[in-house]
Amino acid sequence: MSNVSFILDNGACTAKVGLSTASPKLVPNCIMKAKSERRRPFVGSQIEECRDASGLFYILPFQKGYLINWDIQKTVWDYIFSKEQCSANLSQMPLFITEPHFNFPSIQEAMTEIFFEEYDCQSILKINASGLSCYHYRNKNPTAKCCIIVDSGYSFTHIIPYVNGVKVKDGIRRIDVGGKLLTNHLKEIISYRQLHVMDETYVINQAKEDSCFVSQDFYKDMNTAKNKLEINPIARDYVLPDYTSLRRGFLRQPEAPGEQQTLRLNNERFAIPEILFHPSDVGIHQIGIPEAIVDSLKACSEETWPHLLANIVLTGGNAKFPGFRDRVLKEVRSLAPSQYSVNVVRPEDPITYAWEGGKLLSRDSRLSSMIVTKEEYEEEGQAICYERFDI
Amino acid sequence: MAARESGRIKDAYQKRVLDEAARKRRQRKALEALEQDNFHDDPHADLVMSKKVPKFQESLDSRGAGRKKKTKSAEYYKQRFRKTFAQLVEEELNFNRTPPNYASAQAPASRFPDRHFCAVCGFPSNYTCIPCGARYCSTKCLGTHLDTRCLKWTA
Repeated sequence: MSNVSFILDNGACTAKVGLSTASPKLVPNCIMKAKSERRRPFVGSQIEECRDASGLFYILPFQKGYLINWDIQKTVWDYIFSKEQCSANLSQMPLFITEPHFNFPSIQEAMTEIFFEEYDCQSILKINASGLSCYHYRNKNPTAKCCIIVDSGYSFTHIIPYVNGVKVKDGIRRIDVGGKLLTNHLKEIISYRQLHVMDETYVINQAKEDSCFVSQDFYKDMNTAKNKLEINPIARDYVLPDYTSLRRGFLRQPEAPGEQQTLRLNNERFAIPEILFHPSDVGIHQIGIPEAIVDSLKACSEETWPHLLANIVLTGGNAKFPGFRDRVLKEVRSLAPSQYSVNVVRPEDPITYAWEGGKLLSRDSRLSSMIVTKEEYEEEGQAICYERFDI
Repeated sequence: MAARESGRIKDAYQKRVLDEAARKRRQRKALEALEQDNFHDDPHADLVMSKKVPKFQESLDSRGAGRKKKTKSAEYYKQRFRKTFAQLVEEELNFNRTPPNYASAQAPASRFPDRHFCAVCGFPSNYTCIPCGARYCSTKCLGTHLDTRCLKWTA
C-alpha cells in the first residue's frame, strides 16, 4: 500500500484539504452568492474570482457545528475533489475525514455511506480534528504523555484532554462561542453605533481578523480606550474595501474622515475576543476558555494533572488573535493548583495544525489497523465504523 | 416628612416596565441573531433559474465522466438525510442518555458574577434601564438608548 492519503479536515467554515504529500489548501466550506454576479453561485474557493464581495449571501452545510445541509456539502465536496481543486483518485488511497465531537449517529452513518458509495473510497479514517492535533503534538514532543487540545473554531470551542493519546470523554467541554458568533456580534455593535453592516459578514469578518486582539488586562484597556484620540493607543480606523481600488480593508491610525469609508474601532477591538473568555458578556451563561480548561482537568484523574497542564495546545482560527496564548496562560496559571507548572503552546498555524497531524499520521505504521476498508464496510456495514472510530 | 428618593425612581412608576418573561424573550432573540448565517435575503431569490441553460464553465460532473456509475445529485442527499439540528439533538436524548454526550459536554455556568457593559458604548456600566433592563453608563448613553432601542420593537 502506498502511503499517500487524502486528508479532509472538514471545518464548518473552512475545509483544510490536500494529499498527504502536499501542503493543505484552505477551501471555504460553503456556497456564496454575490449581488454583483447575478447568475453564478460561488462554490468554495471560487469566491476569489468574485470582483465585488459586498453583501455576500452564505449557504453553509453546517449548523451549530454539525453537518445538516447535505446538498450543500455534497456540492462543495464535489468541487473539492474536482480537477479545479484537489483532484485525487479516492479509490486508490485512504481518506482521512474529521468529524466534530459527539457527532450525531445519523450524521456519522450518512457520511460513511456517501464516502463509500458515492465517492467510491478505498478506505476511510474518521477522527476528531483534535485527535489529529494531539497526534501532531505528540509526534513533535515525544515525551508529552498527555495534552489538552483547545479547538476554538467557527461554531464553538472544545476543550479535549488526551491521556496517552486517548481522549478523556468525560473531560470534553463545549463552549458555544466561536468565530461566527464573534463576527455576528461585531456586526451588530458596529451597525448600532456607526454604520449599517448587517449584510456584510464577509467584510466584517475580515475586519475582525485584521483588528481584534485579546486584552491582557481588560479593565485597564477599557480605561485606556476612554481617552481622547490623541492619547489613545487602542483606537484605530478600519478602511473598508470599495472593490474598485481596494479589495481588502486595512487598519490605520485614526484620521479625519476623508474619501474612503472607515469604521472607528475602539473598545470593540478587544471586547469582541473577550467573549471567548467571558461568554456571559453576551448573555451565554457558560464558563470561558481558561475556566473550562480547569473544569475539564478536574474530570481527569489527579495524577495526570501535571502532564495535562504542561501541554495545553491552542488550535482553531480564534487562536490567531494576538495575545490569545498569553491570556490563556495567565488565567489558567491563576486558576490551576500552584504546585504544577503550566505551559500553553500556540502552533505557528493553528488552523492547519490538525491537517498537518493527519499528514504525519498517514506515515504511521499502525494506520492500516485504524482505517475501515470498503470490503469491511460491505461485509459488516455501519457497525464496523462505530467499532473502529471513536468519535 | 416623606422619605427622600431620586427623581429617576419616582418617574419610573409611570413608565411601562417589561416583565421578566419579556426580557428573557428579548435575550433569547438576541442570542438567536448571533447564530444567523445571513441577515438579508438571497440576492438571487428573484431569479428564475432555468435548468436547461447550458453552463459554460467546466462542469463539476467531469469527475465521473470516465466511470459507468452515475453520480447521485446533491438533491438526492438532501432528501435522503433530511434532519434538522433540533431533531438530531432530540434523537440523541432518546438513544444516548448516559453521559458523556452532546448535552453533558456543554460548559457549565461560571462561578464568577456577570460583568456589565453599556448597551450603547460598550464601556463598563453601573446603571440599569428601568423599563427594559439594559445597562448604560451615563445619562448621555441613557438618552441614546431611550431614543433608539429601549421599548422599540417590543410586541
